Amino acid sequence: MPADENVNISVRQFTILVFLYSVGTTILVIPSILAEVAKQDAWIAAVLGVGLALLLVRLYSAVGNLFPGLTLIETNEQLLGKWCGKAASLLLVFFALITASELLYFMGTFMTTQIMPETPIQAINILFALVVIMGVRLGLEVLARSAELLFPCFVALFLGLILYISPQIEIRNIQPVFETGIKPLIHATLLFISVFSLPAVLFLMVFPVSINEPQKAQKAFYIGTLLAGIVLILVIASSILVLGADTTSRQMYPSYVLAKKINIGNFLQHIEVIVAIMWFITIYLKMAIYFYVAVKGLALILHLKEYRPLVMPMGLILVAFSLIIHPNIVHSNVYNKESWLPFVSTFGFALPLLLLAAASFQKKQKVTSSDQCSQGSE
Amino acid sequence: MLASIGILLIVFVIISIEVPALVKNGTKQELRVFWVLLAIGTSLGIALGFKIHIPNPLDWIAAVYKPVSSLISSLLQ
Repeated sequence: MPADENVNISVRQFTILVFLYSVGTTILVIPSILAEVAKQDAWIAAVLGVGLALLLVRLYSAVGNLFPGLTLIETNEQLLGKWCGKAASLLLVFFALITASELLYFMGTFMTTQIMPETPIQAINILFALVVIMGVRLGLEVLARSAELLFPCFVALFLGLILYISPQIEIRNIQPVFETGIKPLIHATLLFISVFSLPAVLFLMVFPVSINEPQKAQKAFYIGTLLAGIVLILVIASSILVLGADTTSRQMYPSYVLAKKINIGNFLQHIEVIVAIMWFITIYLKMAIYFYVAVKGLALILHLKEYRPLVMPMGLILVAFSLIIHPNIVHSNVYNKESWLPFVSTFGFALPLLLLAAASFQKKQKVTSSDQCSQGSE
Repeated sequence: MLASIGILLIVFVIISIEVPALVKNGTKQELRVFWVLLAIGTSLGIALGFKIHIPNPLDWIAAVYKPVSSLISSLLQ
């Protein structure tokens, strides 16, 4: 078995990981998509989305508790048989790797369009990937501890943002409430959970295997998701309250524009980079988890003892993919609005359900076969 | 051209960090996977350096999920 089998993260570290992972890219891409679909009711979609996300956490913990000692990859193999399980796991690894490089693309595009327009995107992607590769090579424990360190920083910046922007809130920007129909609202909710909660299925690689108190981990999963949900609802609501639904939907990065509006007494201005730092923190951890799952998953599929030697070659592939997957921003927007939802649902929704069904089927078969055995002995 | 040389340098650094330990531990399977991944990464990087068109995996995904995504948008719009 893997040499790092004794990796253990504490329940608090797991909560913080779930929190930062769920905030992740959602804070970056979701406000404008939601405002485009649900107009000024985007915040309602976010509230509904958080509710659904808690149900999804229930699903994931049910799957995680099927085999508390196995990761998702091993559970696949256990329940779906050797070849089907391996195929599902390979697709999962592909999903994790592709999405990690998509996050790298987001990061690079954000930096080159907003902060450093003259730097080539390759330079930023390579630098950011280096940090991720370093983190994953050092292992899950190091990632969890750095999350613990970065968490107070994130919270302080977030509270600063909300506090400084609050004088500019105009309630009439979200009126009339419930004006959008039921269909756009459902669509917006689905888009929200597709970024916010469905990717959390990858935590089944960590939960409950690598947590030192597995019985408390489930609660931690709920708390992390709920806290992240509150942060996102606040960000989406304040984008709409300050900028208005129209402006929010037209911006590529509404929360960044939101921070540009901060102006305290004509003195404290132009501090939008605090939002950028929040993103660096959350996207870093999200990307690191995706990449960790991809590398560790591949190592588990091939029954390798160590995943660390694979980190750097996979990092090469990660950077190369990040430069080819989206030729331009329009491509990325269309992909995120159309293909991403079914793609992530395959792994975040269909796969856990399939695993649960297979487990209950297996259990039933075991019960009947043991019945036959006992009848035979009578 | 320059980019490809840079990639070869990076690959060289990766090999010098990882391979000695792998050879010493005698982990054959790990070494094999390492070389395969490194070959894929290097060829992707060099192809990018020479601006060769590489098929985009996200387009395949979009094509696979096209029926579902058009169903969703027709249902919800």
